[in-house]
Amino acid sequence: MTFRQFAYRNVVRNRRIYAAFFMASVFSVTVFFLYSMLLFHPSIENRFVQEIAVMGMGAAEIILFIFTLFFLFYSMRAFLHARSKEFGILLHLGMEKRQLQRLIFIETMFIGFASIAAGTFIGYVFSKFFFMIVREIVLLPALPLYLSWEPFALTIGAFLSLFMIISIVAPVFIRTGEAADLIRGEAKRRGLYGFSKTRGYMGLLFLGLSYGMAASTSNSVVIGLLFFLPPLVTIGTFYFFTDSLPLLLQFIRNRKRLYWRYFRMLSISEGSVRLRENARMFFIVTIVSTVAFMSVGILASLTSFASQYREMHPLGLAYKSMPENELERQHIAQLVGELNTAPIDYSLVRFQPLQQTSSFSGQPITMLKITNINMLARSFGYEPIELAEGEALFLPPSPSSYEALDTRKVMTLLEESRVTVDIQGAYPYQLFPSYVMGQNTIVLNKLDYDKVKDWSLKNNGELFTYYAFNVPDWQRTKDIGKSIDKSLAESFLAGKEDALPYAFDNPGMSYSVIRTTFSLLLFIGLLLAMVFFLAAGSFIYFRLYTSLDQDRKQFDVLRRMGITDKEFKKIVNRQLIPQFFFPWGVAFMHSSFAFLSLQVIWDALAEISIVKELVLVLVGFTLMQIVYFYLIRWRYLAHIKGAR
Amino acid sequence: MTKKSIVKLTEVTKIYEGKVMHRALNRLDFEVEKGEFVAVMGPSGSGKTTLLNLISTIDLPTYGRLLINNVEPETLSQNKLALFRRRTLGFVFQDINLLQMLTVEENLVLPLTIDGLPVREMEKRVASLAKQLDLATILHRRPDELSGGQAQRTAIGRALIHQPKIILADEPTGNLDSKSARDVLELLKAINQREGTTVIMVTHDPIAASFCDRVLFIKDGEFFNEIYKDEQRQTFFQRILNVLSLLGGNVHDLSSVRLP
Repeated sequence: MTFRQFAYRNVVRNRRIYAAFFMASVFSVTVFFLYSMLLFHPSIENRFVQEIAVMGMGAAEIILFIFTLFFLFYSMRAFLHARSKEFGILLHLGMEKRQLQRLIFIETMFIGFASIAAGTFIGYVFSKFFFMIVREIVLLPALPLYLSWEPFALTIGAFLSLFMIISIVAPVFIRTGEAADLIRGEAKRRGLYGFSKTRGYMGLLFLGLSYGMAASTSNSVVIGLLFFLPPLVTIGTFYFFTDSLPLLLQFIRNRKRLYWRYFRMLSISEGSVRLRENARMFFIVTIVSTVAFMSVGILASLTSFASQYREMHPLGLAYKSMPENELERQHIAQLVGELNTAPIDYSLVRFQPLQQTSSFSGQPITMLKITNINMLARSFGYEPIELAEGEALFLPPSPSSYEALDTRKVMTLLEESRVTVDIQGAYPYQLFPSYVMGQNTIVLNKLDYDKVKDWSLKNNGELFTYYAFNVPDWQRTKDIGKSIDKSLAESFLAGKEDALPYAFDNPGMSYSVIRTTFSLLLFIGLLLAMVFFLAAGSFIYFRLYTSLDQDRKQFDVLRRMGITDKEFKKIVNRQLIPQFFFPWGVAFMHSSFAFLSLQVIWDALAEISIVKELVLVLVGFTLMQIVYFYLIRWRYLAHIKGAR
Repeated sequence: MTKKSIVKLTEVTKIYEGKVMHRALNRLDFEVEKGEFVAVMGPSGSGKTTLLNLISTIDLPTYGRLLINNVEPETLSQNKLALFRRRTLGFVFQDINLLQMLTVEENLVLPLTIDGLPVREMEKRVASLAKQLDLATILHRRPDELSGGQAQRTAIGRALIHQPKIILADEPTGNLDSKSARDVLELLKAINQREGTTVIMVTHDPIAASFCDRVLFIKDGEFFNEIYKDEQRQTFFQRILNVLSLLGGNVHDLSSVRLP
């Protein structure tokens, strides 16, 4: 048996222990590979959404890499620690320290090679599927499967170097003491009981404070809180796991009536040791899942944002032309032509707002014609409203201003044209995007409007022309008027926003960009979160494995003491369930409070739709966790009971 | 079976099946009276631990009849067996096996919490045990802060706290220095005499065995010899040594001759 064979057999025969570790590594290689497949995709051009996609994937890759480094680092340490007895025997038999290091190096590299190979293979197999999902979200043209060396090189290079680093660093974890120490080397749990009371209270205080602030935010401070709360919550969470929870458990332990009760003593004390061991990992998992939940929640709120967005932008397309605009006819013809070829149903109404000075307020006032308004209203399915000569209505600039205006009655003289109007109440329907027609706008009867118009024509007082396209199927307009949008975007980027004599608004396009961005971030986030969950689970498994010998003895004691299998399962449940679900519950709390404060920004958030989507994602993750929990419990129980 | 006997084995055979079939006990007859302090001795592989496991009811005999406190473990379900162990038996182990994450006090009350006793009752029993076993000053320490003797005393306390009928000790002095070992044995003896608790102890150590009322020797899973104590512990010790030399020699000579 050569040395290499020895290392190989060590890995292969320890496969049960390596399995969870291997699985998590393979999965993270797979996800990394998928991201890089997209990063290097030849048919991705540099458009806005794709840029976000590439940036998101790039960021995700870096996060994934760093996380995997930490994950491997921790697992390796736990694992080598568990095998210290074996290493002790090897040293005892006369193996040199240097050889031992080489052994560990070779073993780690074996696993590394295997997981890189498996990961890229699985990644390549699933990349078409992955592309299909991304294409659906980003609304790209077809993303064909391609074969190129770059993604392979990136993945293999990244993970090979990662495993190298780990396998060089890993042997340092073996205590350099005597062989006898290693052989005896039962995991010492000393130092696991201590915690700082101050930090414990601080953790609770920080969390309480940030929850309180998040729940009671107001518009004026919310931006400040956006910068202040996340670090506070992060520190609070860290202290919460390292010190506050032990503090709380200590509190229970001091209450004998609570603590000396059936299996509570066993599960709480064992649970608190596990908690201390894994506090840092719990912290990471919590923060990561909070971010994941948040992105899910934001996406979900976008669904309700869509209906609100529609309310703020009732028109499918809007084109505003200043009097000196020479391209007006050409642009309108282009828009109409594009709508007809698509084909998309629309109705077009042309508005010519006029401006006068009101004698009542001394302010400029904008006027529209009721017949035009009624025409547009009819296309929305609203009832037309009649106005007699001399009568007028306020046109509310935004939906929220309707009620205040509806009760107002004003008699005013339009100074320039000497027309007197009696404004009574407000126009009830929201037809225009907020504020496009100005803040102070009224609707006039046809005759009055014409009088004012006559005056305007004589005095060259034209304001602008507004083309309102009502498109019932508004989300389909994202490709209409692209060239106009582009010319506007270019002048915007050049810093001359007001230079062009026209403006164009396509809510369908803006909405699809926003939506796509969020969906994509969500998708990236979910994949990352899945890696983290798997890794966290495999880590818990490791920790269980490291203390297996001791646990087995403990099980023997308990069995003799008269604990049935069922009761033992119960105890194990109570130890494992918090480990699996606690970080996750905290994350859920965090994100719910975050949403409370985000609601201030998002104003009227339709909660029902969020709840639905959040529940869906939560259920998904919970199912995954439950399956993982049962899998690991099954392995753990088998290890504990079997092979005595 | 006399009225006083608390453990009775009749022609008990235990066979472990596996890749290699192994007959750990062979037609063993053995009886322990109520309030007796019995040691079981024999070389490694003689079946001492198997015997103890059978009496612990965590293993069941392959053939033969086993009665503990007038109960036949075979007739009980797993749940009932657990309950039976919980109330009738107490265990002391060689490697002590205190639960590391519990303090001394918590280790002591563990068997009671499982049974759901009221806290006041538990505290009362801990107090009296602590006094008896000299644990009062270390009640709030953790097992890794104890000396070997203190740890084993705690373990004995844990075995006693639910006032079992029988205490089963598997090499309780195996990991202790001679002074602590002596303390532990004297403690077991005292408990045996004062409370009338039956003690069955498996041991390698003739000194430990000389504290008992009776020593049972087994070899290759079969009865080998049995001696009772006499007036003087010294002479009892000598007689134990005599049997052991016979036993040890034989085992060594015949180690290649194993039963099928």
